[in-house]
Amino acid sequence: MYNRRIVSMAPMPPSGKFAVALLSCVFILLAHTAASAQTKTPAVARASGSAPDLSGNWLIAPGTPSFDSADPAGKNPQQLPMTPWAREKLNAAKPPFGEKGTFDNPNDPVQEYCDPPGLTRLYGFPWQFTIVQTPKNVYILFEYFHMWRLVTMNRPHPKDLDPTWLGDSVGKYEGDALVVDTVGLNDKSWLDNVGHPHSDALHLIERFHRANPTTLHLDLTFDDPKAYTKSWTAQRTFKLSTDPMGETMCSLSENEEFQKNIMDRTVPATPAK
Amino acid sequence: MQKKLFLASAVAVLVLVAAGSGFAHHGTAGYDMSKTVTITGTVAKYQWTNPHIILYVDAKDEKGQMQRWSLELSAPLLMRRFGWSSTTMKPGDQIVAEAHPSKNGAPVGISGTATFLLKFVINGAELPHS
Repeated sequence: MYNRRIVSMAPMPPSGKFAVALLSCVFILLAHTAASAQTKTPAVARASGSAPDLSGNWLIAPGTPSFDSADPAGKNPQQLPMTPWAREKLNAAKPPFGEKGTFDNPNDPVQEYCDPPGLTRLYGFPWQFTIVQTPKNVYILFEYFHMWRLVTMNRPHPKDLDPTWLGDSVGKYEGDALVVDTVGLNDKSWLDNVGHPHSDALHLIERFHRANPTTLHLDLTFDDPKAYTKSWTAQRTFKLSTDPMGETMCSLSENEEFQKNIMDRTVPATPAK
Repeated sequence: MQKKLFLASAVAVLVLVAAGSGFAHHGTAGYDMSKTVTITGTVAKYQWTNPHIILYVDAKDEKGQMQRWSLELSAPLLMRRFGWSSTTMKPGDQIVAEAHPSKNGAPVGISGTATFLLKFVINGAELPHS
């Protein structure tokens, strides 16, 4: 949970009316200054040293299936600056949301196969995540799929990375922000719930910033020359939650029953009894 | 035991308007979110599983024929946050349930997502809903 900054007081000076009066004036002045500062800019506590405190359970609000900030509902997913390779993949995608939203999702890696959602699609589902900061690593733990990300602090990416679902993430603090740089991804996941693809050349930069005690901002920069003709950005905002972290899984056996008894019966034009 | 299917009241339609942006991980493309039906019947099975809880309800249709409805709810963790649990109901309980029906007319509906939960009455007691 978020902890407010604890301000330690200086020890009392030698006794004497003048010293006490002077100290009182200084205290009042400092208190007034601190109050004014809090009014202008919410205090953001530090976890340790110069690291901003990003701890807490953060709730992902539903409702923005696309990362295209100009088209959050995904009504026009083709408008991002895509390469022909990416456009072909997007056109073939059968996603659950957006312009082509459907219950028939045979090539959706998450809906069809319970594949890991990938780095950024994780932010498209209404679950919580929590950030655990240690001096050497930052861990981002998600309720969804119980996925966890390792962000190794203050080191470069290793050379000759093998492509993986979550890639290699390194981090550093810049002011009040945690900046996470990720490469080494495979191209099996979608960026979002409307089927925007990415390639194994994706270079993702995430910038986490606690705007106030109960709000976390995330700025994302997508640089993927195989899929997009220029880099582009997106934003997400998360609110602090008082609910404890819980479990939600994608189980193929459970998913199969749901697919059979719910999804499949709503797809055909003729009702299935 | 009286079991009857009828179109929702004006109150339920108002609920529906608020629920139009409901979120399920697979979307709501298969449902007619502009309609709400009320199903009165008996709980046949209450399945507390991922990715969504499935509630099976036996109810008579407008012609008096018995049919089994499959109602989708949110995921267990999210339903827990709405105040429900795996023991909220059991087979044989009398139930009145609201749902947005499937577009194709199959007895399938959605009654809850991360952002809304429609009205349920179990053995005369109303459950927590949004």
